[in-house]
Amino acid sequence: MHITAIWALMVKDARLYAANRLFALVTVLGLVAYIVIYFLLPATVDETLRLGLVIPDSLSALSEMPDNDAVQVTRFTDVEALRKAVASGEVEVGFAFPADLYDQLRQGTQPTVELLLAPEVPPDFVSVYAAAARELSFTLIGQELPVVIKEEILGVDMVGASIAPRQRILPLFAVLVLMVECLGLASLIVAEIEQKTIRALLVTPLTVRDVFVAKTLFGSLFAFGQAILLLAITGGLVKAPLLNLTALSIGSVLMTGIAFLIATLGRDLMSVMGWGMLALLIMALPTFTVLIPGLAADWVRIIPTYYLVDTLYRSLNFGADWNDVGGNLLLLTAFALLSLALGMAALQRRWKLFLNN
Amino acid sequence: MAEPAIVAESLTYRYGNLLAVDHISFTVERGEILGFLGPNGAGKSTTVKILTGQLRPMSGRAILLGIDVARYPKQVHARIGVCFEQPNLYEELSGVDNLRLFARLFNIRDIDIAGLLHRVGLDGRGDDLVGHYSKGMKQRLMIARALVNRPDILFLDEPTEGLDPTSAEAIRRVICEEQERGATVFLTTHDMYEADRLCNRVAFINSGRIVALDTPHNLKQQYGKRMVRAEVVGPDGSLLTREIILDQPETAHEIANLLQHERVVTLHSEEATLEDIFIQLTGRALV
Repeated sequence: MHITAIWALMVKDARLYAANRLFALVTVLGLVAYIVIYFLLPATVDETLRLGLVIPDSLSALSEMPDNDAVQVTRFTDVEALRKAVASGEVEVGFAFPADLYDQLRQGTQPTVELLLAPEVPPDFVSVYAAAARELSFTLIGQELPVVIKEEILGVDMVGASIAPRQRILPLFAVLVLMVECLGLASLIVAEIEQKTIRALLVTPLTVRDVFVAKTLFGSLFAFGQAILLLAITGGLVKAPLLNLTALSIGSVLMTGIAFLIATLGRDLMSVMGWGMLALLIMALPTFTVLIPGLAADWVRIIPTYYLVDTLYRSLNFGADWNDVGGNLLLLTAFALLSLALGMAALQRRWKLFLNN
Repeated sequence: MAEPAIVAESLTYRYGNLLAVDHISFTVERGEILGFLGPNGAGKSTTVKILTGQLRPMSGRAILLGIDVARYPKQVHARIGVCFEQPNLYEELSGVDNLRLFARLFNIRDIDIAGLLHRVGLDGRGDDLVGHYSKGMKQRLMIARALVNRPDILFLDEPTEGLDPTSAEAIRRVICEEQERGATVFLTTHDMYEADRLCNRVAFINSGRIVALDTPHNLKQQYGKRMVRAEVVGPDGSLLTREIILDQPETAHEIANLLQHERVVTLHSEEATLEDIFIQLTGRALV
């Protein structure tokens, strides 16, 4: 292996990358945008559920309603006042019990409880609040449910420690940085064929293996460096730095392999962008599981980036350690080596076809 | 006696059903300039690719500087310089950066880049981006790139094609300098004037086969016809051309007749060009 030559090729690629205005701009602007968006997003989550109640004075059960950091109860004198409070966002949910609740019950009629909801309450939650209204009604009339509810949190109890939006999105940004650099590397390789410079390189002492080593190192280190910079600025390296750096470095190798595959398919810059955007879209799918938990089904686990995103997400936000994400890292390594091997084989085949013509 | 710079032994290469190189054999001595002449599609570039290790021959073998190219291509690459027909430079880098990169690939640190640029007439343009160079400047830079490792064999594939006279002359000068230094030059071209002027020997290749290989002088002696071409004034006052083949028994008589009975305006002796000989041998022109 020719170390000096490999280093010279890497320096050359760095200069060509910087000379490509599109990729240089996307790289710098992308990194700045991720950092700015990160700091613009809320650093904390307001977990307090603000409830409004209109309840007959005669009912003393109000004293049993929880009123703490998690649930804040405000009592209103009439339905109109509660309605205004919900509309203005002062409370998120309002329960209005009729003043003659007991009288209606005694007369055998069915009282109506009004459930008032703010527009931003997710539709799925409406039935939950309706159930809560029913249970509250039972409590107010002194008819407890004939069962005992035992609560048990499996895993980390996140009450009071919800993940802030900026922390939730950080793994996504780290993966995006790697993916964008993969497009840049693919375009450099395609340019090598388009401009026929690969032919000139291979009539020097440089071997095909040297070229691959140089491209792999450049692609991986360049992407890895940016991901480190992003995590360093956003404080992502404070928690489990070694674990996160390991995940990112394996992720960089994975992306380099994907860049080789894109370069095999691409004929010019435009086709690299086309194939690259398709690959980027597929590889970005697992990040949605982080942004919107429960959205993606289990099949998303066949996408290699899932294991990178999941590792970073759990490490950065749940304090996961090597034991927790060891399986992820092993699978990620397997995917990275596979993509690199496939990418090299495919690209070498394309180079051979090119050189034989 | 030093072994030959290039030995081609029955080289064969096929693209699908097309036999591009058909059992070619030849030898090039050290310090020699060999012109490899033939029309487009004759097999010139394929032969160069085999000799430079870019293609593996389907049969036969190429020995450069005593080394089997197919078996030890990198040992050969360290000692040759290749200038391609089409520019393949890093256009977003400067001329200096292109040369410096290739010097590093050959692990050469103390390279005189300014001197190289001067030799190919690119003084003062080294720091410009190659993308801003003209075609001639790019070609000259490619020659400079092929020289960074002071090669023992220099392969030049159509180095002056489509260039302005200044660029072409600069390249021809470098070829002569390299020969003076002791390098062997394998020159692929279809410029007969260039081949005649520069090459010690020329090989004619047609349909993948070498049809003739000798010095330009010997080829002309063997295949060409010397003649005298005269312009004379015709009966109606127009200029007519008369051609008299030399070296024939009746030549002296025909010339005497011409001078006695015609109003001769111009009189030149001419010898066959390499192009004439190529057409005579192959029935094809060199384009």
